[in-house]
Amino acid sequence: MDCCGGTDEHEDDCTEVTVKEGIDAKTVEAAKALESENYSAGFSTEIETEYSPKGLSEDTIRFISAKKEEPEWLLEWRLAAYRRWLTMEEPTWAKVRYDPIDYQEYYYYAAPKSGAKYESIDDVPKEILETYEKLGIPLREAEVLLGVEGAAETAATAREAPRVAVDAVFDSVSVATTFRKELEKAGVIFMSISEAVREYPELVKKYLGTVVPQSDNYFATLNSAVFSDGTFVYVPKGVRCPMELSTYFRMNAENTGQFERTLIVCDEGAYVSYLEGCTAPMRDENQLHAAVVELVALDDAEIKYSTVQNWWPGDEDGKGGIYNFVTKRGDCRGPRSKISWTQVETGSAVTWKYPSCILRGDDSVGEFYSIAVTNGRQQADTGTKMIHLGKRTKSRIISKGISAGKSDNTYRGLVSINKRAEKARNFTQCDSLLIGGRCGAHTVPYVENRRADAQLEHEATTTKLSEDQLFYARQRGLGEEQAVALLVNGFVREVLQELPMEFAVEAQKLLEVSLEGSVG
Amino acid sequence: MLKIENLTATVGEAEEAKQIINGLTLEVPAGEVHAIMGPNGAGKSTLSYVLTGRSGYEVTGGSATLNGDDILEMDPEERAAKGMFLSFQYPVEIPGVPVMTFVRTAMNSQRKLRGEDEISAPDFIKKSREIAKQLKLDAEMLKRPVNVGFSGGEKKRLEIYQMMMLEPRFLILDETDSGLDIDALKTVAEGVNAMRSPERGMLVITHYQRLLDYIKPDKVHVLAAGRIVKTGGPDLAHRLEAEGYDGVLGEAV
Amino acid sequence: MTTALRDLIANPNAAELELIARYGMLPEDARRERAFEAFAKGGLPHRRVEGWHWTDFKAALPVIETPAETGVAADPLPTEGALVFSFTPTGFTWPEDLPEGIRVLAKPEAQAFGASEDMPLGALAAALAGGKTKPGTLMIEVTGQDLPRLHFRFSGDGEANFARVQIILRPGAKLAISESYLGGAGFTASLMEYSLQAGAEFSRTVYQRAGKAEVLAATAAVQLDEGADYRQTTLAFGSKLSRLETRVTHQETGAKATLNAAYLCAAGHHADITTEVRHGAPACVTRQLTKGAVLDGGRGVYQGKFFVPRNVGQKTDADMQHNALLLEEGAEVFAKPELEIYADDVECAHGNTSGALDANQMFYMRQRGIAEEEARALLTEAFIAEALEETGELEDVLREQARAWLAR
Ligand SMILES: Nc1ncnc2c1ncn2[C@@H]1O[C@H](COP(=O)(O)OP(=O)(O)O)[C@@H](O)[C@H]1O
Ligand SMILES: [Mg+2]
Repeated sequence: MDCCGGTDEHEDDCTEVTVKEGIDAKTVEAAKALESENYSAGFSTEIETEYSPKGLSEDTIRFISAKKEEPEWLLEWRLAAYRRWLTMEEPTWAKVRYDPIDYQEYYYYAAPKSGAKYESIDDVPKEILETYEKLGIPLREAEVLLGVEGAAETAATAREAPRVAVDAVFDSVSVATTFRKELEKAGVIFMSISEAVREYPELVKKYLGTVVPQSDNYFATLNSAVFSDGTFVYVPKGVRCPMELSTYFRMNAENTGQFERTLIVCDEGAYVSYLEGCTAPMRDENQLHAAVVELVALDDAEIKYSTVQNWWPGDEDGKGGIYNFVTKRGDCRGPRSKISWTQVETGSAVTWKYPSCILRGDDSVGEFYSIAVTNGRQQADTGTKMIHLGKRTKSRIISKGISAGKSDNTYRGLVSINKRAEKARNFTQCDSLLIGGRCGAHTVPYVENRRADAQLEHEATTTKLSEDQLFYARQRGLGEEQAVALLVNGFVREVLQELPMEFAVEAQKLLEVSLEGSVG
Repeated sequence: MLKIENLTATVGEAEEAKQIINGLTLEVPAGEVHAIMGPNGAGKSTLSYVLTGRSGYEVTGGSATLNGDDILEMDPEERAAKGMFLSFQYPVEIPGVPVMTFVRTAMNSQRKLRGEDEISAPDFIKKSREIAKQLKLDAEMLKRPVNVGFSGGEKKRLEIYQMMMLEPRFLILDETDSGLDIDALKTVAEGVNAMRSPERGMLVITHYQRLLDYIKPDKVHVLAAGRIVKTGGPDLAHRLEAEGYDGVLGEAV
Repeated sequence: MTTALRDLIANPNAAELELIARYGMLPEDARRERAFEAFAKGGLPHRRVEGWHWTDFKAALPVIETPAETGVAADPLPTEGALVFSFTPTGFTWPEDLPEGIRVLAKPEAQAFGASEDMPLGALAAALAGGKTKPGTLMIEVTGQDLPRLHFRFSGDGEANFARVQIILRPGAKLAISESYLGGAGFTASLMEYSLQAGAEFSRTVYQRAGKAEVLAATAAVQLDEGADYRQTTLAFGSKLSRLETRVTHQETGAKATLNAAYLCAAGHHADITTEVRHGAPACVTRQLTKGAVLDGGRGVYQGKFFVPRNVGQKTDADMQHNALLLEEGAEVFAKPELEIYADDVECAHGNTSGALDANQMFYMRQRGIAEEEARALLTEAFIAEALEETGELEDVLREQARAWLAR
């Protein structure tokens, strides 16, 4: 990043970059500490782990539920999902291929041995804290504060530097949530979903499964049966969440499926920005990740959900890596509500993911901004669904796919205009970039219009990196990889701009790392 | 002729409506040419759309009459039949509809609304030929779809061609000079001047004195922040050119 | 019928049983059998099958019967000077005198159909075409250039009408054909195969019009050799269910395909325009423009796909546009413009719009004094006409049909 030229008119930009670099530096250091691999997050942590019995059965589910001291209704809910799942078939329509998954070969629950719950952050095993540090995620509140202060000093303006409250999920269990007190003051509930089940059972019961029903699809149903942990956020009426909320998911234990479940509810007029980061260590075996994320935005509420997904993609031959089968859906339940998904997807061996918006409230707005990068033998089938039900609902889809190596990258999206969705609007832009002649880039949009006064527009292009631009950059002295990175950055710019700044630089670095070795 | 009184108007759909015209008063008597100048975003184009009835522009107060008729309640085509013509700042492309077909349909629709007979095909072609020649428009161009693939200057000349064909009673030219080279500007101005008559009024919206050297206005108004803030003779345009809006408006406030 | 035949399709409905019975009555033929098996594997395609989601034959065709309200639409395509081949549910007529440069063979048996798995209803037509009065395969070989247009008509009251035509254009040959699907039969399925050898030029015009009771599946498979030029224009009004499917394979360098279509659907009419173009050779060009206008109770479906395989698809230049107008509330338009690309040095794009007429254009017209209704009619006609511009000599006929429908 070289935008910090020091000229006056860029002062704003400069402060931003300084703050970003503060955070970025950690990520970079973490990466440097592990020079040998491209994948900076591919280390595992030596800690004792407690597993559920291997495989999937009603007993497994009872075990998980008991471990979490769950109420009866939740156990029944899980069992109902499991029974349903047994009758379902794994979907095959996505353009991804993988060896059949043996669901009995996984552990459905893995927790650091010392127990799921920590009284205070000091009780969290040192190894776990170190792991997060390596990932560049400051967990200790003190550190976060220090980091912020440092950043604030360098910022020329008095503008408040952003702070991020972090909930960290290690394998199946949430280990720590920072900034809790301050959030409580604002009335924001931010905790692991297991805790929320205990502390706010009514709230959880009211919203859980109302966006992604138990029987929604194969992987979501599996998740409903075995979800281990995840994050719960509730922002009360009229509250603008005072900081960004963030969850880092990390798979550590071997042969573990991770099934986190996130539920975010924004009450009337509330606002929250939520960041999600994911990493996993390198393994030989493919690991399964089947998360469910449910968002509910009531009247005038706004939820911004950003993801940087960097699960282990497997080695060059596609061995190992994460199967990322995720169901993410937001419900714009109230009028004038807004849900915005932004994702940077660089990891996983196989990705199957369609963050969607149900635009139920009149005048509600859904957005999807995506960068999906595939390299090596990665396969990604990702996109969104915008379901327009309410009047004057608007949606916007910007998708940038980059394929390199021997990978396959598919955009699959649905825009559906219901009969009652007066004056609905959608704009979709889908661009694909191919780097090298052995990868694939695919675009599969489905557009269903049932309103004469709707206005739907879809554009898509597929091209390769321009030789002229590459040459131009190299003539000015950029190395080939650098030139590619520069052009790719230009290609994805529109989406990067949507990311909260803490994520933007990290995302940019990830793009570079993911595309290493893709040219020449 | 055209009388606008204390007009206020908003732009945009219900929730996002912004008030752009803020109590604008202006009168252009028959036979006169008035110029409107003003900084970017002042509301000049908005005024032209409000007067011609574009949807999305809502009048929230005041009045506008043409020869005593309230035009604000009329459909766009009714206003056109009454003689309102807008030369668009950004003429719209209409694929698949040839210029000749378009203008003839418009002319006959207007005549029908006014209870007049349709123009005969030979008369129409004759008239079209004459005007095209005057404007140095290639006959081939008139067979092509409206504005599709036309250069900026060609589009503006085509606006004037339509104006001369339809012989409106009141003309609004919204930045018709922008994008024209000096020769095209002269041609366009000649066309407009040929339209000057005691029964006709004109509102010429422009940024530059240049156009007003060719189309001599009777009065010059300065529009800023949605209202007329200064009115003067042709020399006002010269002063604006020399001192800029800030200089001239500085004293007005 | 034998139980073995009956078992071919899982959970058959009455229509599928009837199709099995018809197949059982035809003389034994290994190629016919392969084609029927390809169909029988899935039976009548339905909404759960990718590519048939919006056009469900199993639901639209519970039984095969003569429509209660029979009637054949008029054929607007001129036949004067053309060579007319007519397929009805019960018979087939063809011109006796053929000019030099065209050879016609009415073969009783089926010919092999390579891509039968991908085109189940094409396979069905291949399996059921023929019988006592009709050819199993009508084969036409073209060597000439200055030839009259061949006109294929599919119409006539009855239960079902099946036809299969193969045309091969030898190097440098030139031909224009037209096809009219005019309804009358409860179910019509045709398979048209066009093979263009090096430098051949071929123009195809398809006109489809039928009532609210007929079900149609018109499938075309096109293969293009080096430098071949294929042009197709379709005007479809739909029926209870109509699918006009075209699959083009560029199999040698420098071929060009133009695939345009317009669909106009009134209440109770469903028109499906489906195309798939495979860029199986370097530097081939495809241009595709589809326009639709739909009224209350009508449904338009557009599915387009460009498939560009690894290596051989380099330098592909392909563009696909689909624009639809929903003229009234209650209209439906479903679209799936798809790109599947495995070669990097390509220029591929698609665009899709659907909704109402452009508000700026409407205002511009009304500012000039054109009344709202008239402005709408003019814009709509111009909108549709764009897709008919490459038709050639039949453009005016198609335009007139579209105009009359819009003026309704
Ligand atoms: N459709 C619209 N929605 C919202 N604001 C608009 C719209 N059209 C114009 N505006 C705003 O109205 C103001 C006046 O615009 P305009 O009349 O075009 O100015 P000008 O004097 O340059 O012609 C500008 O601030 C512009 O941004
Ligand atoms: Mg303007």
